[in-house]
Amino acid sequence: MKDLDVRGMACPMPVVSVKKALEADGAGLRVLLDDGAPRENVRRFAESRGYSVSEETVAGGYALTVTAGGAVPQQGAPVQAAQGAAQGPLVMLIGSDRLGDGPEELGRLLMRNFIMTLKEVPQLPDRILFLNTGVLLAAEGSEVIEALTALGNLGVEVLSCGVCLDFFQKKEKLAAGAVTNMYTIAESMTGARLVLRV
Amino acid sequence: MVRDGDRVAVFNSVHRIMEAEKILKGKKLDVLMIPAPRTITTDCGLALRYPEGICAEVEGALGEAGLLPKELYRKAGEGFERINE
Repeated sequence: MKDLDVRGMACPMPVVSVKKALEADGAGLRVLLDDGAPRENVRRFAESRGYSVSEETVAGGYALTVTAGGAVPQQGAPVQAAQGAAQGPLVMLIGSDRLGDGPEELGRLLMRNFIMTLKEVPQLPDRILFLNTGVLLAAEGSEVIEALTALGNLGVEVLSCGVCLDFFQKKEKLAAGAVTNMYTIAESMTGARLVLRV
Repeated sequence: MVRDGDRVAVFNSVHRIMEAEKILKGKKLDVLMIPAPRTITTDCGLALRYPEGICAEVEGALGEAGLLPKELYRKAGEGFERINE
């Protein structure tokens, strides 16, 4: 069984790393991680996907052994699209910090409300891509950082366009998710099972 | 989104909640506009969340502005207790 060391990573990167590793090899893995939120979030994430999790204390942290089968996905837990060669990820593209056409203030309020509501819906996107003014939602000062962090802890990959962050002088102020480039954005979209443009 | 002990204030219009948020943020109070929890019925589907520790400042400021919430709740375990009538 493969070892994955996520010690020292800040949330939600431990969950994102585990999710990627399980997508590559769904049989299972042994995760070395820190106590506290990483340990709780990875356990919750793996169990919500139907994996069995056993735990042991190791030098410098904990080891969670995540194995396929043996557990039933939690009732009511958010689920994501099954990954596979024939089925790409479910991608959400957010190209603005506003939702819909109309007054700016209302558009911003609707977008905030939409993102905060997302984690309550039964099927989560696998990846959210922020472009243009959408990147402001993932930067310091945004009202939805808490919601994006919670989505990250549920295994949703949150990515913001680096050029856009640079344009708005927010590159050093990213507060949720990671920076990405147009290669990844284009590949995510062309390889997706479905792209939801918000 | 809502932690145990947090207060959740519901207003009867989107304009009132937006005004309330603006006033409270102007006073640097730790409030967050959130989708109203499913178990709480609201006219506009939104609510303000704030920690119990600042409820006196928040509710005082709302009272001064004539923006007292229509309904006020406290998160208790899995549910919400109504704390105003």
